[in-house]
Amino acid sequence: MSIIKLNNITHSYGDKPVLQELTLNIEDNQLSCLLGGSGCGKTTILRLIAGLEIPTNGQIIIQDKIVTDKQKIIIPPYKRNLGYIFQDLALWPHFTVYKNIAFGLRERKEKNVKYTVFKMLEFFGLQDHADKYPHQLSGGQQQLVAISRALVLKPRILLMDEPLANLDVKLKRKLLEHIKNLKQSREFGINLTIVYVTHDHKEALTLADTIVVLNEGKIEETGNIEQIKKSKNEYVQYFIEK
Amino acid sequence: MGRKLIEHPFYAIIFGSFVFFIVIPVAYTLGTALFADSSLTDNLQLLNKDTFLLLAKSCIIAFSIALLSTLFGTALGFLLYKTQVPFRSFFKIALLIPLFISPYILAVAWKDFFFLLFNNTDFISSYIGVILVLTSIFTPLSMLIVGSALANINAQLEETGFVITDFRSVIFKIMLPLIKPALITSFVLVFIFSISEFSVPAFFGVKVFTTEIFTQFSAFYNHSLAILQSALLILLCVLLLLSERKYIADAPFLSVSGKGKSTKFYNLENKKWISLFFLAGWFFISVILPFIVLIVQSFQDGIAKFVQAFELLKPTFGNSLGLALAGALITVFIGFTVAYPTWSGVETKSGKSFDWLLLVVFAIPSTILGISLIKFYNHPILDFIYSGYAIILIGYTAKFSFISAKLIGNAIMQIPNSLDEAAQIEGIALSKRIQKILIPLIMPALFAAFVINFIFCLGELGITIMLYPPGTEIMPIKVFTIMANAPQSLTSSMTLIVFSVTLLIIACLYFIGKTFFKDYSNVNN
Repeated sequence: MSIIKLNNITHSYGDKPVLQELTLNIEDNQLSCLLGGSGCGKTTILRLIAGLEIPTNGQIIIQDKIVTDKQKIIIPPYKRNLGYIFQDLALWPHFTVYKNIAFGLRERKEKNVKYTVFKMLEFFGLQDHADKYPHQLSGGQQQLVAISRALVLKPRILLMDEPLANLDVKLKRKLLEHIKNLKQSREFGINLTIVYVTHDHKEALTLADTIVVLNEGKIEETGNIEQIKKSKNEYVQYFIEK
Repeated sequence: MGRKLIEHPFYAIIFGSFVFFIVIPVAYTLGTALFADSSLTDNLQLLNKDTFLLLAKSCIIAFSIALLSTLFGTALGFLLYKTQVPFRSFFKIALLIPLFISPYILAVAWKDFFFLLFNNTDFISSYIGVILVLTSIFTPLSMLIVGSALANINAQLEETGFVITDFRSVIFKIMLPLIKPALITSFVLVFIFSISEFSVPAFFGVKVFTTEIFTQFSAFYNHSLAILQSALLILLCVLLLLSERKYIADAPFLSVSGKGKSTKFYNLENKKWISLFFLAGWFFISVILPFIVLIVQSFQDGIAKFVQAFELLKPTFGNSLGLALAGALITVFIGFTVAYPTWSGVETKSGKSFDWLLLVVFAIPSTILGISLIKFYNHPILDFIYSGYAIILIGYTAKFSFISAKLIGNAIMQIPNSLDEAAQIEGIALSKRIQKILIPLIMPALFAAFVINFIFCLGELGITIMLYPPGTEIMPIKVFTIMANAPQSLTSSMTLIVFSVTLLIIACLYFIGKTFFKDYSNVNN
């Protein structure tokens, strides 16, 4: 069953078209990778799903509700029940680790904020860093804080925009394991749908349940790892083998 | 490399000259006032309860101006730097005009306005009048500081907030806390400018600390008390600037928030026209209305007063422009010398102390700086400085070098060290690297620093009124001295001419800058 539906989405930045009549369904409870080179529109898709961009044309449906339609945001980002992890993580530099994670809970007037935050910190082994500021952490720890901040609100959908792009291979492997475990975790993974943007086909082939290969704002191929590997599409073959 | 430059004889000469011509006179005057003739305790007894009450009153006025300017500046800065409001490029420039107009010009215009409308100027010639006029002058400064900070926020920090919470919370809990250093800088700077301001309260006949110092010095010749009061004000300003610097240096997040990615712009939708109305209204009240009032008042009795005003001011144009040009060139030169080490990445003791000296001298209110210089240079050996334009140029250098150092320093910090290091590896000499790499890259900032200081020097009154040698013809002095006894229409005409000359110069320099530096955005990207 599709949890996210993008229907005939067209989008451009000024005169430059980015997406052209794109239709895409993201399946529930799966990790879907949007794979493609620079400027193919994968981040734009993520931003459209989040409601951070308004498409030039088309409709977006999340959990059977129209969230964006005819150049209008129907449901604002914070009511879409999703988490977003940006490429540069966007940890608020004026908040400590604890406050970064607790901010959303407090805004939503949740109870037991301290307990929930520390449970999350413990899950990722960050409990000793609660009072530190983001710049006092290593790159990997910052990554985990960003993931914690997104997950603490128990979103149904997690959007991840090349979150591992700036990390070394060893750390990347460790965090890939973390992300895989997320979906199987009883605490946070129940019914979690992840949309993961990457330009690294190895990352996609390690993680994904479904891979969507994009090129110049259009979908070249969609399928699971085996289907993508066997694809006859020239661009997909080039991209996977390069 | 930076160490080499600081130890360079040329740098030592500039540093030494600044200390010799500016720092020593100020220190000497304050020192002799505090310790000479009688003991420090005896001297301090001159500062009575009235002095402290007046200081407290001045602080309340300055606080109100700083608070209002920062509030309005934040609102204007948000509209101009974070939204797609119509005509925002025009308003970004146009709203800055009051900052570059001499404060006394706007004071004259507002007094005229109340006179024309109500035939009574009691309301404006009061503490409220000083607060309102100075708020209209300093709001653009806050707008610039806060607006730049808002534009530099990494868009993703806001977007992450939008995924979690609503617009209001993002503004109050993410954006404003992120720009807290800019808000504090804006407040502190406006406070210092306001408490140091002399011409507006003097013109409105409002007794504040700076006018009291001026009266004690010029009318009662009570130099000891004037200098003691000055020392109090200097102490207050320096302490404020030091606390602001300490806060910014200790802020744990600055190293991260400084590296903004793209700017997020907000769609105002149905609030677009209200926002435009607010901007246009502010522009009308702060620029157009004073200009119209001056025109009406100037030509009320026909053209005769305007012609008379022009004749009176004619001899001052050449002197004023020449002095402003020299002042701007000197301050840009010193500003560059102080700012350069930030590029080389080496902070030495002498480099740091030069920076601190500029800051401390900048914090000294103009009137006090004037008194210090006049007391020191009024000596037969130094008469060649005292009796000519040199003493005014020293005053300009003392007051405005800090501004150019900051503007140039900020531009230099944007240029990666690697550009210099690549040239070093190729064996290119330091002077050539400065000439061929650094200066071309920061040319727009050098020009901006020149323009700003040129306009400031042209309209400067606080130092100039203390320092101008008898017989010298300088534009703001001419207007200010004639103001006291001349009919209102003559004062307005003179003010209108100075206003128009300043606007014309701003427009010319703006178009020169636009023509010559249109390709520079690509260079810096």
